[in-house]
Amino acid sequence: MTNSDVKKIKIVIAGPFAAGKTEFIKTVSEIDPVTTERKITHSQEKEKKNTTTVAMDFGKIKIDNQHELYLFGTPGQTRFNFMWEILGEGALGVIVLVDSTDPSTFHEARRIINFFQSRYPIPLVVAANKQDLPNAWSPRDVAIALDISEEEGIPVVGISAKNKEHVKKTLLLLLELIKSSIEE
Amino acid sequence: MTLTGDLKSFSFADILQVLYSDKKSGVLIVEWKDMTVAYYVKDGEIVLARPVDKVFRVYVDRDFEKLLEKLRLNERALAETIKKFLIPKLENRDGIFSFTKGFIRYPDNVPVHFPVEQIIMEASRRLSLEETERKISDELLIFEKSPDWDSRVQRANLSEKEKLILELVDGTNTVKDILEKSKVDKLTLYRTLYGLLSIGAIRRKKKKITRKPSISLDLLAKLIEKIKKL
Repeated sequence: MTNSDVKKIKIVIAGPFAAGKTEFIKTVSEIDPVTTERKITHSQEKEKKNTTTVAMDFGKIKIDNQHELYLFGTPGQTRFNFMWEILGEGALGVIVLVDSTDPSTFHEARRIINFFQSRYPIPLVVAANKQDLPNAWSPRDVAIALDISEEEGIPVVGISAKNKEHVKKTLLLLLELIKSSIEE
Repeated sequence: MTLTGDLKSFSFADILQVLYSDKKSGVLIVEWKDMTVAYYVKDGEIVLARPVDKVFRVYVDRDFEKLLEKLRLNERALAETIKKFLIPKLENRDGIFSFTKGFIRYPDNVPVHFPVEQIIMEASRRLSLEETERKISDELLIFEKSPDWDSRVQRANLSEKEKLILELVDGTNTVKDILEKSKVDKLTLYRTLYGLLSIGAIRRKKKKITRKPSISLDLLAKLIEKIKKL
C-alpha cells in the first residue's frame, strides 16, 4: 500500500499565541512533529517565547495500515487567520488550547471558538492548558471567562500539554463527542 | 487560588463576571497607578472598597466585622466606599488585579448596596468598541435569553434602550438584526450585549452540529482504542 492509499483523518489543534499547541502535538505524536517554526521578531511576542508556528505543525498517529490520524496545529497569531480556514476544512473536530495563566489571551480564544463554530460546526473541546503552573486559572474559571455555558456543549478540561495522559484524555473527550454526534 | 491579570486586556466587567458566576468570596486587589484598592467580595458581590497604602495591610485583617469596627464604617459608609473607590475606577485600565479566594471571614449578612449585576452593566457602559468586540466578535452572532434572565436583569438597573435590546434577543435575531430593529448606535448595542452576556442574562445560541463527521463508528472505535494504548 502506498502512502497515498492511506486515509488521513484530521483533528485541528487551535488556540491563541503561546497556548501550547506545538507542545500538545509533540507529546502524543508517533513521529517527530513537522513544524514550521520561525524566530519571533515582534518584541511583545518575544517576551513569551523565541519561536512560533507560521504555517502549521503536524503530528501523526497510525491507526492501522489504512488509516492515520493527523493532528494539525494552527498558528496562533491573528495575522495567520487564513490558515485556520485551510486547516479546518475536512477536520473531524477541533481542540482549542488556552493558556490558563494568561487571561489576556482568553478573548482571543473565544474569537477562535466563534470562528470554528461559524465556519465548521464540528465537535469542539477547550483544553485549559498549563494547569501545572501556580498561577493557572481553574478550568471552571476559564470556562466562565470564555462565556462557555453548560448548554453550549463545549467541554473545558484542565491539562498540562507536557503530560501525555492529559493529552490523551483531551483527545478521547473529543472523540467521544464525535461519536455522540454520529449516533445522534 | 489566585486569579491575576491586567485590566487592559481583561476588564472590570470580565473579572466581576468570573467572581459573580461562581459566587466567589475573597478579596480583589487592584493596583492602579495612583492607588491600590482592596475590594471585599462576598458571594460574588462587592461589599466594601478599601484603599490601602500597602497590599500587606489587607492580609492583616481577616475578620470582616472586626475590620469594619477598626475602620469605623457603618452600613451607609460601606455604600459610600463603593461609590467613591469603585464606580469612578471602572473606566481606568491602568491597573493589575489579583483575586484571592477565601481568606476573609465574612458574617452571614453583609448588606449589598450595589448589586453586582448593576456594577457589571455600569462597567460595560464604559467599554470601547474595540473592547466590546472581544465578546461580540461577529455581527452574525445569535444570542438567546438564559432561563433565569429576568431575576438577573431585575438587579441590573437597565436603561430603556438596554431593555429594548434585551427584548430583541430572542434566539433568532442576529446582532445585525438587533442593530437595525432597535435603531440604537453600534457602541450602545455592543456594550449592552457585552453586559447582558457578562451577567448571564443572555447566552450564545448553541450551534447545531450540522455536518456529520466523515468517519465510521468502527473506525472511530479503533481510533479510541489506539489513543488509549498510546
